[in-house]
Amino acid sequence: MFKIKQALFLIFGITSFIIFYIGILNYVTTQDKNMGLLILIFSAIVSVGTMFATFYISKNLTNPIEILIQQMKEFSQTNSFTASSLDDKGIQELYTLNKNFEDMANKVGKALEKEKQLNLELKEMDTRKTEFMSMISHELKTPIMPIMGYLQLLKKEDLMGKLNEKQLDALNEITISTERLEKLIQDVLTAQKIDLGKLSTEKVNVESKVLVEDAYRAFHPFCQNKDVQLNMSLDGNEVVYSDSDRISQVFSNLISNALAFMPEKNGIIEIGTLNNSENMTFFVRDNGIGIPEDQQKNIFKKFYQVDTSSRRKKEGSGLGLSISEGIIKNLGGKMWLDSTINQGTTFFFDLPKVSVPIENLKSLKTTSQSNHISS
Amino acid sequence: MSKTISLKKAKKQNLNILIIDDNEQITQLISSFLDMSNHNCTVVNDGIEGLEQIKTNQFDSILLDLSMPEFDGYDILNTLEKDDPTQMHKIVILTASSISPYVIQKFRDLGVSACLQKPVDIDQLLSSINDTVN
Repeated sequence: MFKIKQALFLIFGITSFIIFYIGILNYVTTQDKNMGLLILIFSAIVSVGTMFATFYISKNLTNPIEILIQQMKEFSQTNSFTASSLDDKGIQELYTLNKNFEDMANKVGKALEKEKQLNLELKEMDTRKTEFMSMISHELKTPIMPIMGYLQLLKKEDLMGKLNEKQLDALNEITISTERLEKLIQDVLTAQKIDLGKLSTEKVNVESKVLVEDAYRAFHPFCQNKDVQLNMSLDGNEVVYSDSDRISQVFSNLISNALAFMPEKNGIIEIGTLNNSENMTFFVRDNGIGIPEDQQKNIFKKFYQVDTSSRRKKEGSGLGLSISEGIIKNLGGKMWLDSTINQGTTFFFDLPKVSVPIENLKSLKTTSQSNHISS
Repeated sequence: MSKTISLKKAKKQNLNILIIDDNEQITQLISSFLDMSNHNCTVVNDGIEGLEQIKTNQFDSILLDLSMPEFDGYDILNTLEKDDPTQMHKIVILTASSISPYVIQKFRDLGVSACLQKPVDIDQLLSSINDTVN
């Protein structure tokens, strides 16, 4: 790399030296000394003139470029720049270049400033929204206990007297709706916690087999009621360092999701593990209606629900998958899916393995239970 | 015949229970349920009054809400830990916010009998109260 200044001085220096040298050579070798002297003086003047011209050109050429370089550097670092004091007496193209850059940078700078301001406002609004939602959810949660409690109380024949069948039916309907409301509020609260980075997890060493078996046990009767077959497929058994309560929450969301999009007949859900070198991959596979490819990228967004164009009732909050992905990320894993229309969908998630032989962890089996104490 | 027996049995385990919770609807629910189950309930809606009740009267079981304005459940637990740790085993904590197993373990270490998350199943509540007595 070299500078324009250096190149100019090198080229014009050599040129003027050659001209001067030819002048001297001519003077030494010529017969006509007067003519020789004249040419020598002329060559000297040309050499000196070239040097001055070089000075002048170099100053006018490199100054504006150096200013431009400085301004660009400043702009890229701070989004603002110091206006140049260039006058229009120098090289016209460079002067125009400089002015055009200043105009452009001014506009870009203003746009950036505006965007920054907007971003700040948006961020503040988002925080306030999250806080508001969290406050609302807490307030919504409070009346749930008296509602559920009195419903339970009303069903106690020995304390409240016997209800007739119609009254009991009505109570059951209220109970179902209240339970759904509670689940929804709980989901909103969990999503808030993930957003605010306040999701609490309690990691312990737990066997991958236990995690899947727990989910299987919890959902087997439920699936049977809905005439859906629930299968389990285990690929080895490894220790993962994770939060079994949160994992069961994820399984619950994925299985509920799968149940919502089952075919009319012969619905099958398979849960299990795939043993990889570093991770244990867990999956929930269904033979449901599948998710269109263009909607797959939105599937983990909050409140997103797949447009099935079927007459199926949409019951979920649209939070289950977003929460599940948030939990898995929080636990150091990742979640993805594989889906074919009318054939089914598989949701996968990874959990990092722990390199401890299972035999060495005698207390493992109890870990998943001890977490449920009185909570 | 069987009814009188169950009543007798209920009379036998007639307990004095203190309920400390700032939510009146919740205290109303719990106290009417416990009244119907033949227990004696004392209801207070703030922490300071709750602590005074604990100090002046003898209770078999104390239901304690954690989040209350000013003097809350944690303050009561702290005071009892210093002044009268023998009361700890009577306490059943009720809380609306989710608490981690780690915190639950901390409460256990303090001697708290149980920690229930709202909305609490009232049958579970009753069995937790019975556990404090046994």
